[in-house]
Amino acid sequence: MPGMTRRDFLKIAVLAGAAPSLLAGCAGEGDKHEVNFFNWSTYIAKDTLPRFSLETGIVVNYSVFSDEEEMFAKLRSGALGYDLIVATDYMIPRLKALNLIDPYPTGALKNTGDIDPKFRNTPYDPDNAYTVPYLWGTTGIGFNKKHISKRPTSWWDLWDPKYKGKISMLDNARDCVGIALLMKGCPQTTDSDAAFKAAEQLLISQKPLLKQYSSSTYVDSLINGEVYLAMAWSGDVIQAARENPELDYVIPKEGSYIWVDNMCLVKGSRHRADTLRLVDYLIEGKVAAEIANFVRYGSPNAAAKPYLDKSLLDDPRVFPPPSVLKKLQFYAILPPDLAQTWIDTWSDVKAA
Amino acid sequence: MKNKWLSFYAAAFYAFLYMPLSVMFFFSFNNARRNVLWRGFTFKWYGVLLHDAGLLGALLTSLKIAILSSLLASALGLLASYALVCRPPRFGRAFYSSWLNAPLLVPEIVMGVGLLSFFVRIGVPLNFWTLACAHAMIALPYTIGSIRARLLSLKSSQLEEAAMDLGADQWEAFIRVTLPLAKPAIVSGALLAFTISFEDFVTSFFIAGIGVVTMPIKVYSMMKFGVTPEINALSCCLLLTTLVFLLSARMLRRTPNS
Amino acid sequence: MPPGKDALPPGGRWARISRPVRSKAKKFLAWLFSGKSEKASHLLILPASFWLSFFLVIPIVLLLVLSLAQRGPYGTVIWHPTLDNFRRAFTPLYIPIVARTLLYCGAAAVICLLLGYPTAYFLSFYAGEWRDTFLILLMIPFWTSALVSIYSWIIILGRDGLMNSVLTGIGLLHTPLDVLNTPFSVILGLVYFYLPFMILPLYSSLEKIPKQYMEASYDLGAGAFQTFLKVTLPLSLPGVFAGFILTFVPCLGDFLTAEFLGGPRTYLIGNLIENQFLMAQDWPFGAALTAVLLGAMLVGLYYYQKLEAAEIA
Repeated sequence: MPGMTRRDFLKIAVLAGAAPSLLAGCAGEGDKHEVNFFNWSTYIAKDTLPRFSLETGIVVNYSVFSDEEEMFAKLRSGALGYDLIVATDYMIPRLKALNLIDPYPTGALKNTGDIDPKFRNTPYDPDNAYTVPYLWGTTGIGFNKKHISKRPTSWWDLWDPKYKGKISMLDNARDCVGIALLMKGCPQTTDSDAAFKAAEQLLISQKPLLKQYSSSTYVDSLINGEVYLAMAWSGDVIQAARENPELDYVIPKEGSYIWVDNMCLVKGSRHRADTLRLVDYLIEGKVAAEIANFVRYGSPNAAAKPYLDKSLLDDPRVFPPPSVLKKLQFYAILPPDLAQTWIDTWSDVKAA
Repeated sequence: MKNKWLSFYAAAFYAFLYMPLSVMFFFSFNNARRNVLWRGFTFKWYGVLLHDAGLLGALLTSLKIAILSSLLASALGLLASYALVCRPPRFGRAFYSSWLNAPLLVPEIVMGVGLLSFFVRIGVPLNFWTLACAHAMIALPYTIGSIRARLLSLKSSQLEEAAMDLGADQWEAFIRVTLPLAKPAIVSGALLAFTISFEDFVTSFFIAGIGVVTMPIKVYSMMKFGVTPEINALSCCLLLTTLVFLLSARMLRRTPNS
Repeated sequence: MPPGKDALPPGGRWARISRPVRSKAKKFLAWLFSGKSEKASHLLILPASFWLSFFLVIPIVLLLVLSLAQRGPYGTVIWHPTLDNFRRAFTPLYIPIVARTLLYCGAAAVICLLLGYPTAYFLSFYAGEWRDTFLILLMIPFWTSALVSIYSWIIILGRDGLMNSVLTGIGLLHTPLDVLNTPFSVILGLVYFYLPFMILPLYSSLEKIPKQYMEASYDLGAGAFQTFLKVTLPLSLPGVFAGFILTFVPCLGDFLTAEFLGGPRTYLIGNLIENQFLMAQDWPFGAALTAVLLGAMLVGLYYYQKLEAAEIA
């Protein structure tokens, strides 16, 4: 067709494609009362959301992810759709830098006073503007007592050739590279190439012994004996141990990391008011306690304390005693290029 | 004697082909959380599926996208097939033939990441419509293949010429004669396109974005968390859908010439 | 009731449009579907062509452009041309992955050929009136979602899966086999999924062989095996090649099978590319890897096109 340049053609085509979604966007706020909630798997109690819907009439579309990188990749692609996400502490700077999350409007939440002061004014969110803590936990070793002769005590047990083919590691950079650096005695804020090389080599040396990298199926693998030892997140194993008492969890003697998962508001959300109501609900003392009791993770909510199960409070795997606590560190917030080095190291480990 | 060995081989082959699917089917009725030992017959996992709102939402999304993309692929395919059969261009007949088959050969991951980068770069939000367009592209070779085959056999019977001899012009001959006769093939191609879109995973995985959850994506998310009988039930439902559409497509192809 | 002002005129809505426009439109449509004009043919193919260009070609071209860019902080893209991504793709770290992918996919394609050829032969020559039924039976797994196929193998091959349960149950094994998460399970998954891709071209090619050729061979005194070797097999070679291409090339980009049926040591190019776009957020590098994969695809497309052209001729 004469007179039409390729660019015009492309513009029209793009507009034609974008038009329907623009029209949909014009529907505006308040078309339906719902919240699209994107959370980790096995991270909420069974009745929490149904009860919320019953009380408020707001429908919650709940979807789960098994690793935060997947969640981040989805958000980053510029797609719209989620209103509320749960993101781990180290992700927050990334989400803020790429403009993917919104700050909480001041005074919007009624219950934030109940959050334990220990979890406020954190390095990753000094003004408490972008995050509301949800749950916290530790990374350690989950194991199946039936198949292990002696209890694991050290991270090096995951490198034990006796268990070749029966070991599982978490499938993300933060946990694996973090632990490798710890085992090599390097501080997590290190920027030395040699340190990362050493960590990379350590992880690569483990690969022949590994059955899988998995952040979600390792519990099942532990239960059915495909794997005897797994790098695990505390609550996942402890939850499963209720029905499978041969499972257990331990924090190795070299120490480990505490991580905090936070609720964040997604930019471009079309159900902001409903989302804020949901967040408010989730940080009510009773509700937070119900969630923590079910998923067996630590609640950062001071108001939840009176409602927590005694068995949970007394569980040293969930609330470690001071002797263990001093060996646990929060993840440092790294500058972008250093954070990228962690990811690159992990990519190289996976590729090797 | 060759007949016997070959028949035996074929039987064993089909048994191998259907073994995993049958296993999955039977174990979807297993009354056990962990999938191994048989613990009694139950329909409860299918019941769980029906009550899973997220799943039903994914089903609806998949259906909508599949309908839209099969319509698109059929329309585009019909026009292209007609041209290729009735007046193949002298230049590039072979080119068009294989060019229109290109989606068959491009690894889906290439399509997926390509479309992802493309849509992000030109700023089109990843949504329902972009996915439907992508599925239409993937299904194009199938609709063209189906319609083209039928048009070829129609051409040899020269019914359009007969209609024109009786006074119709080309457009009327097309609308009144060719199109109705080609309808079974068009619908058959549309059904194939529908199935492709419904079952597509890799491309959808990359460009579905957030709000769009199709059935295969839902199965994938469930699979990430391990083996459960609900996934069995869900997979069987997907299988059943395939079966229904495939058989319908097949039956339409075999409609005799009237 | 007398027709009101707004009633449709006889001839319906179509008649509302003015006569000259209508007849021009009809003339145009007649010309379009006349089957007489080549230009009309090109025009009819244009929508489909455009669709492919827009949704297949342009994205691929963009990928190639992207492969020359650099990664910025937090996974953004800096449009500063560089060949670093390609240099990186050919470093010793990634060569094993490429080699492994070629090996697994090649093995899968060859196994598909070996397993599929007898079946295609059976379908062409021995299936008789059951042929359609068998073809449909073949198609069903073909159309099944890859996820469903993979999932069904997880159920069978798992440590507490069917295979182990049965084999230990009947005493053939003492301890369950750890077959999942191995190269074996990955290749098995690939073979299972791509078998129909191999069989259909084989069948279509075998079917086209005129029976007279084979009969002539028998008449000349050749035995069944000789006939197969000297007549059938050579004549079915186009199908063999087509099947191989249709199996091998798409297989190269496969990442799902390795993801679910494989382990840490079965990392393939597909997994690497997926990793770049999702976890590592290094889209330029991922694009470079994809470009390499595309190179393989183009080679395949070239040969496939030659086969198609030969068939049409």
